[in-house]
Amino acid sequence: MSLKQVAVSDAWFNRLVIGGIALGFLTLLATGLAAYQSVRENQFHSSRVNHTFQVEQAITDFLTEMDRAEIGRRGYLLTGVAAHAETYHDARERFFPLLARIRDLTRDNPRQQANVARLIALTRSDIPFMEQSIALVRSGQRDEGVRLFRDSVGRRAVTVLRAQATVMIDEENRLLAIRDAATARSIRLFYVTVAAAGVMLLLVGAGSIWVITSYTRNLATARDELRVLNTDLEGAVRERTTDLQRANDEIQRFAYIVSHDLRSPLVNVMGFTSELENAGKRLTRMVDMVEARAPDLVDKDAKLAIREDLPEAIGFIRTSTQKMDRLINAILRLSREGRRAITPEKLDMGALAQGIADTHRHRLDESEIDFSIVGRLPDITSDRLAVEQILGNIVDNAIKYMPTGRRGRIEIRGRSDGQRAIFEVADNGRGVDPKDHDRIFDLFRRSGAQDRPGEGIGLAHTRALAYRLGGTIVVESGLGRGATFRISLPVAFIGEQGALL
Amino acid sequence: MNQAQPVNIIMIEDDEGHARLIEKNIRRAGISNDIQHFTDGTTALDYLYEAPDGPVHNGPALILLDLNLPDMSGADILGRLKADGNPLRRTPVVVLTTTDDKVEIQRCYDLGCNVYITKPVNYDSFADAIRQLGLFLSVIQVPDFPEA
Repeated sequence: MSLKQVAVSDAWFNRLVIGGIALGFLTLLATGLAAYQSVRENQFHSSRVNHTFQVEQAITDFLTEMDRAEIGRRGYLLTGVAAHAETYHDARERFFPLLARIRDLTRDNPRQQANVARLIALTRSDIPFMEQSIALVRSGQRDEGVRLFRDSVGRRAVTVLRAQATVMIDEENRLLAIRDAATARSIRLFYVTVAAAGVMLLLVGAGSIWVITSYTRNLATARDELRVLNTDLEGAVRERTTDLQRANDEIQRFAYIVSHDLRSPLVNVMGFTSELENAGKRLTRMVDMVEARAPDLVDKDAKLAIREDLPEAIGFIRTSTQKMDRLINAILRLSREGRRAITPEKLDMGALAQGIADTHRHRLDESEIDFSIVGRLPDITSDRLAVEQILGNIVDNAIKYMPTGRRGRIEIRGRSDGQRAIFEVADNGRGVDPKDHDRIFDLFRRSGAQDRPGEGIGLAHTRALAYRLGGTIVVESGLGRGATFRISLPVAFIGEQGALL
Repeated sequence: MNQAQPVNIIMIEDDEGHARLIEKNIRRAGISNDIQHFTDGTTALDYLYEAPDGPVHNGPALILLDLNLPDMSGADILGRLKADGNPLRRTPVVVLTTTDDKVEIQRCYDLGCNVYITKPVNYDSFADAIRQLGLFLSVIQVPDFPEA
């Protein structure tokens, strides 16, 4: 699987997970709403059922009071005992409050209102008879009262009343049945909702698990591939480093052999030039002698050749071969330096810089140059000799190219920058033309007026050393504005870096 | 110096020019001993060990050895000459080469070289060194050989 595909499935995965989570939450919300609705309906139904029971209770109470009144009336009619009349009155007083309560309770039901109205009407029409029968007994017309009672029994007023009440109770029971059914329905609906939500959650859960598992599998595959790639990369880097190292070694060896083998013919050129010179001297002596004894034997051309052309040619051959020898020696020295083993150690850079100043003390005093180390230099772990040579070469250059007739100044500064230490050697000397900033680090290349001795080796060597230590070196300068060489070195030596000559 | 058996100088040097310059300077130093010149290691070794007039069979010798030879390294020849039990191990060997590498010089002395002379490009000092060698040769006591 390619990385791109992983990225695509990444977006896909995000969408799926968000979708799954949203679906899960929606399901939970729906379930919650259903439960809430169901509970509310239940509550409503319970209150309605409760209400029904209250109505029934009130009707039953009314019937009970009606019975009590009837019992009291009958007792009084039969016995004339006043206590019975009291019972009747007591019960009768409760008729209308109870009826009013029933009417209030059934105010939402027109059918029951009609029934209640009928019940009230019946009760009202009954009461005068009752009152009359009681009043007749109290006034001593007992027989008249009993007759009236019989009439009312004949009218079966109480039975009608009871029947009317039963109608009401039946009506309430009918309502109760309807409400029970509604409750059962809402509970069923609730169960169905919960079951549906459960199934939905199960599906979402299973889906999520599947998506996460497949995504994790994809990730694992991608990670394995990355690891393989990584290993390959490390291998490639190692291979590359080895190649570079080999190339570098090759160049070092090449430089060594070439410079070595170049010296061999040079020895001959120099040697036989000397032989030639010696032979020339002997010939000159002879020409001188001949000229003294027989001037006519020596012609002008021979004299010119032996006295001017020969020494001039030999002189040029000699200076050129000497220069060539110095260059070859420089290459040899660089190649030898490149093969020197780096031995990292903890370096007190302040002391090291001071040591360089002490080495150059005589020349610093002679050229009237102020040398200073500004602040504290960060300590590093590196090769002492290499670091000494880097700083030493730059300080040496600063002294060498310091114009006379001005108070010279050389400063060494340093600071830490993460895992690197930056050192700066700044001078107020003649500076380097910006177009030569790269060139001065090349072998045998120099910049500015060629009024000081040198082969153009120092900075090339310095840069090669800096590279070997895993560092870099740059210059900041303008003509006549002094120069600042900035050296960046790793705080801790991290293995040899390939450095080409 | 053994008068009956004059010391033979055996020069192993691949560069004809160098050989000529060395020989000239040796002669200038007043040394008139025989100089045998070889330009490669194989023929030189063959002469050293096999030739009837070679040092193994015939008298003392002094060897001038260049380290850079076309067919083998001068150091190899030196190592073989100075190995234990070699009949030529007491023969003085002067190494003459362009190398001024300290490690190389040290190796030659470790192998048993008697004198090491760098061929400098500065011809005067080179000529000087060779003349010094001539002086050295005139006072050198070449060891007796079993046959001698």
